[in-house]
Amino acid sequence: MARVDPVISRYIHLTIQGIEYRVYYEESGKGIPIICQHASGSQTLEWRFLLNDPEIISKYNVIVADLPYHGKSLPPESIQWWKEEYRLTKSFVMDFQLELSRALGFEKPVFIGNAMGGFLALDLALEYPDQFRAVIGVNSALRAGKPTLDTYYHPYIGNDYKRANTLYFSSPMSPEKYRRIESWCAMLSAPSVTKGDLYYYFNEHDLTGKTYKIDTSRCAVYLLNGEYDPTKSIEDIQMLKEQIKGAKFTEMKGLSHCGMPENPMLFKTYLMPILDEIIKKSKPK
Amino acid sequence: MAVRFIDPQNADFFRNALNADPEFKIAARYMTKDVCIEVGITKCIVKFRDGIVTQIKSENAFADPWDFAVRGAEDAWEKFLQPIPPRFYDGIFGGMVRGNFRLEGDTISAFSHFWAVTRMLDIFRELQNK
Repeated sequence: MARVDPVISRYIHLTIQGIEYRVYYEESGKGIPIICQHASGSQTLEWRFLLNDPEIISKYNVIVADLPYHGKSLPPESIQWWKEEYRLTKSFVMDFQLELSRALGFEKPVFIGNAMGGFLALDLALEYPDQFRAVIGVNSALRAGKPTLDTYYHPYIGNDYKRANTLYFSSPMSPEKYRRIESWCAMLSAPSVTKGDLYYYFNEHDLTGKTYKIDTSRCAVYLLNGEYDPTKSIEDIQMLKEQIKGAKFTEMKGLSHCGMPENPMLFKTYLMPILDEIIKKSKPK
Repeated sequence: MAVRFIDPQNADFFRNALNADPEFKIAARYMTKDVCIEVGITKCIVKFRDGIVTQIKSENAFADPWDFAVRGAEDAWEKFLQPIPPRFYDGIFGGMVRGNFRLEGDTISAFSHFWAVTRMLDIFRELQNK
């Protein structure tokens, strides 16, 4: 008998900012809903280990969607999207997650996101603290460092660049089999998408002067950052944690920017205490 | 720690190892460029012709032209070449973001052949620690 994943795949039609999108999502498990956001230029595959982990899906209803233009979520049919450069904005990606949660009938789900998704975790905690019971920002930051956009979308630079670059966005200690698959996944997005996503990452996410407004009594904030993440230092995240009253921060030793897919077993050792704490806090007193 | 790939005595050994590596052969196909690797004040030029490394030149190379260069201090390369490098020294891109390495010259060519360059440097690390 062949082994079958517990994951269910579906499409849902969401209207975001007046435009309808046919959105692909994957779902697994029962319990507290946890919505997962993929990184720039990525897709649902990034969270496949979470969707398949028996311990996690026995307690959590795990939901992962491809943002429009990513993976199996195509561009919309109702607009001439090809006449403008693809660009992800903060308002769009926040509205997307709110609409996905509403359409699935969730009440205060948990939100987890890696890299770009980690940035979104903090933006959601700031702007919509009553819509989520907790956010987990993986490799999040106050703001991005130096922009490195042009290399991601240039007629002379092929997708092999993304393969090579992503390999070194995972830790040298992570298993090669996972690092190689993650660098393969980086090549799967359409050429303009990674650069377009990084518009939000580099230009729109900036919590400078706003962190004091994040109310962790309404939405708990957890930060997980990889020791090897070249895009930010652990010292930077320690400072960010100090600025968000009540936030909790854990350095993920031996991990880098890719988070779960570069070493799922090690990542889980950092994630489980957070998930257990959220369940404990969610129980009626 | 002496950086082995910059030593002229090791040039042919390193060149043969690159040309024999299965992943490097795929990554470097079509590549015809001269790549300067600078370790502090010492440099070598790795010459690619149609995906084959024809020469690693580190003697009398000071006036040789090149297409793009990867530059770092000797200390940075020593960290990069460790079996498990410390954070911010494990990859050239991350090292550039943190200011530990510099990419100069025709950077578009460098990024279009980034897979070949990064695989080459990984092989240099493997040979450094053999």
